[in-house]
Amino acid sequence: MNNVYLPFPSQVKEIIRHTDIEYTFRMSFSGQVRPGQFFEVSIPKFGEAPISVSGIGPGMVDLTIRRVGTVTNQIFEHYKGNTLLMRGPYGNGFRTEDYIGKEIFVIAGGTGLSPVKGVVDYFSGHPEKVRGMTLIAGFKSPSDILFREDFSRWEKNMTVIQTVDSAPEGYQGPVGLVTKYIPQLSVSDKGQSAFLIVGPPVMMKSAAAEVLKLDVPEKNIWISQERKMCCGLGKCGHCRINSTYICLDGPVFNYAKGKYLVD
Amino acid sequence: MGYKIPREAADNLFKGLGKHYEIFAPKVFSGEGCFSDTGIIRYGTVRTLAEIEFEKKSDYSFKEALLPINETCLYFTENTSSVPAGEEKKRLIFLRSCDLHALRRLDAIYLENGPEDFYYKRRRERTLFVLMGCPETCDTGFCVSMGTAQTDAYDLYLKVSDTFVWADCKSKELSPFFKGFLEECEPETAKSVSLQVEPEFPKSNKESVTLPVSFSDDILSHPIWEAYGNRCIGCGRCNFVCPTCTCFTMQDIHYRDNEKAGERRRVWASCQVDGYTDIAGGNSFRKSQGDRLRFKALHKIRDFEKRFDYPMCVGCGRCEAVCPEYISYINIINTLAKEGI
Amino acid sequence: MSLDINTKKAKKNAYRISKERGIGASRVRVPGGYLKAEILGMVQKIAETYGNGIVHLTTRQGFEIEGIHLEDMDAINQMLQPIIELLDINQTEKGGGYPASGTRNVSACIGNNVCPFANYNTAKFAKRIEKEIFPNDLHFKIALTGCPNDCAKVRLHDFGIIGMTMPQYDPARCVACKACIKGCKNFSVDALRMENYKIVRDTEKCIGCGVCITKCPTRAFTRSEKKYYRLSIMGRTGKRNPRLGKDFLIWADEDSIVKIILNTYRFVKEYIDQAAPGGKEHIGYIIDRTGFAEYKKWALDGVQLLPETIVNECIYWDGIHYG
Repeated sequence: MNNVYLPFPSQVKEIIRHTDIEYTFRMSFSGQVRPGQFFEVSIPKFGEAPISVSGIGPGMVDLTIRRVGTVTNQIFEHYKGNTLLMRGPYGNGFRTEDYIGKEIFVIAGGTGLSPVKGVVDYFSGHPEKVRGMTLIAGFKSPSDILFREDFSRWEKNMTVIQTVDSAPEGYQGPVGLVTKYIPQLSVSDKGQSAFLIVGPPVMMKSAAAEVLKLDVPEKNIWISQERKMCCGLGKCGHCRINSTYICLDGPVFNYAKGKYLVD
Repeated sequence: MGYKIPREAADNLFKGLGKHYEIFAPKVFSGEGCFSDTGIIRYGTVRTLAEIEFEKKSDYSFKEALLPINETCLYFTENTSSVPAGEEKKRLIFLRSCDLHALRRLDAIYLENGPEDFYYKRRRERTLFVLMGCPETCDTGFCVSMGTAQTDAYDLYLKVSDTFVWADCKSKELSPFFKGFLEECEPETAKSVSLQVEPEFPKSNKESVTLPVSFSDDILSHPIWEAYGNRCIGCGRCNFVCPTCTCFTMQDIHYRDNEKAGERRRVWASCQVDGYTDIAGGNSFRKSQGDRLRFKALHKIRDFEKRFDYPMCVGCGRCEAVCPEYISYINIINTLAKEGI
Repeated sequence: MSLDINTKKAKKNAYRISKERGIGASRVRVPGGYLKAEILGMVQKIAETYGNGIVHLTTRQGFEIEGIHLEDMDAINQMLQPIIELLDINQTEKGGGYPASGTRNVSACIGNNVCPFANYNTAKFAKRIEKEIFPNDLHFKIALTGCPNDCAKVRLHDFGIIGMTMPQYDPARCVACKACIKGCKNFSVDALRMENYKIVRDTEKCIGCGVCITKCPTRAFTRSEKKYYRLSIMGRTGKRNPRLGKDFLIWADEDSIVKIILNTYRFVKEYIDQAAPGGKEHIGYIIDRTGFAEYKKWALDGVQLLPETIVNECIYWDGIHYG
């Protein structure tokens, strides 16, 4: 009988340090996986943590891990050897095929950029498949900015607004919440747009409200939810909202359904 | 096949079952109640029929016999992990009709909602269910309203008196125990032993509920949640006694006397208790008890049904009986129905 | 009319000599404060037949039937008889009323008949002590309380019996909800903590109140089969040196406590100041004189304490000294 709780070892190919508390672990993985899906990274005797896929390449996935809890602390502090245990991928993830031929707007807050980063990467590599692409990424402060190298790559073939909530005096880049930049977006064909909003619950709610003000139909908005998960398999119950299991039915939801996910 | 067996012979037959099965049944644990000199009825292993509490409803449901409160999923040593061996003996679980209907709900989550659960499945596959009748309704149950008062999904039905035991054996696996007994009987006795046995089911309850026919979005802001939320102390008893609540939390530990070894286990969780929605980094959802109460109540009568086409609640009434703050779940359902939410 | 009353005898017979000449009060002792309601009717009848219709509820769980004429004592004693029998009070002479009043009523909080916090049946234990010690003229005050909340204020008594339970913890039933930890912190002594998602009880700190048990939603914490008691001794009110009782025994059993009380009667008989007015002297003052070591020797004579019972080998009382 297959025991779905058993993790498998995966080789760590590379570690990319973004900030003191945020690293991307490039893991070997050759199965089917989508951006926005997640793995349960398993540290025996410490626990498991759901980590979303932040990048996909041949035979590998990127897991961007923020050091905020017992398990992620362990990954950073006691990481030894070159393997990590994990199980997954779980969840639906973003279906890049849904966005082909559309004008894509990605609005991300903090580590919310991780689950959607695979989509940005994909279309950055295939700009011919979309009508246009805009990324608004907000971080708390300049020192919290993730994926710095990727940004310089992305800037070459899409509109990028990288903003920080607050910055020390003399900071050159944009300052302000992501919602500040939504009203000034020009959407060429609202019916053919796709808005991908990922971040903390409050940020997603206010960003979606701003996008709707642009007369974008709600079916053109997608969000990704983050919840406590102990299994990723529809059993533990922690991630459920009403009749929806975030781990099975999400974490990515079209806003037509996602707006009803009220805790 | 039905049987009417003299009590002494039935006691021997039961002992025989005990050799092959670990038997779980409701038992009185005297002195183990919340308060001094009070008992509790919960599940434990039994060796004799006399140990089983047939009359009163158990305070805690059968689910702990199938889903242990603490279950080790993996043992860890320095570099290896291993899955604990399953139980050697098969299980027999005594339960009532409402609980047998609850079993279907447990199956829904553990076998149908996403991939099959290894730990649940391996125990479930080696468990048989013995129905206990309800000649009288219990005090707080509303199984008749919920359509769970009757069942034929049992492997064995048993009814006991001081002089006889009546059985209806549906299970092929268990029938040799009864046939074996028949063969040992005198021919005269054997004649009177075989007969039709029908389980006793409650025809009516003291309590009844009407489920709301539909739910509007207004239900989120219904004042009932805040009103009851202000009374709720978030102890989670309603979840822990519920035969259909299935949530668990994973715990990883290092053994105190050998830090290199440890285990991962899953432990019952309650959506009413602090910490249930806490995510790393400090966010949490449903902070008020009112929101948590709504979350639970609507799961039982609305949200589970949306997914599986039948309500989660089986009307056993245990949550009603256990709440230390006298929050009436029955009243919550009926209020929602009455107000046409 | 001339009144010739032996007041010493009357007092011993549980009558108060009031400030009004010829008028007294009949004192009805209710051990453990536990009585059948029909006794209330009997008390009412006495009050309306021989008293002024007023009954005072005493601090020691008795009735004081006010305004009785001292010459009616015999008749009142007759009317008290069914009460004494219903309360199962030891009596030397049937129809003679309450036979002694030196040892005060054994009082108790409501206990586990009703109260969710109580760790034992206080009324039942009170009655057991009552049967062992009455009638008795020596000045003893004994009170029982169900839990360390001490609603019965037993620390103001010569013997204060406080109910305890030894928490039994089954980690296999524990879901780490922390209800016990919060309960112990908020309502008791903060003796619980979590280690590896399981509860560790600081046995030095734990006072056996049972809050963890009442808070536990899964029956991981349950009560010990044995009932335990904390025995506080030599608390007192009074003019010279009021003070709170100190713990003599912790995790003691019922039998030992009964025996210690009986031993204390023997000790008092041996060491009481022969010139004490009315033959009454607070035990505490006697112990102050003999020293605690001597008292302890007498008190524990022949007592088989449980292995888990903690005995305080030295006790010093403080309190307020006026004289």
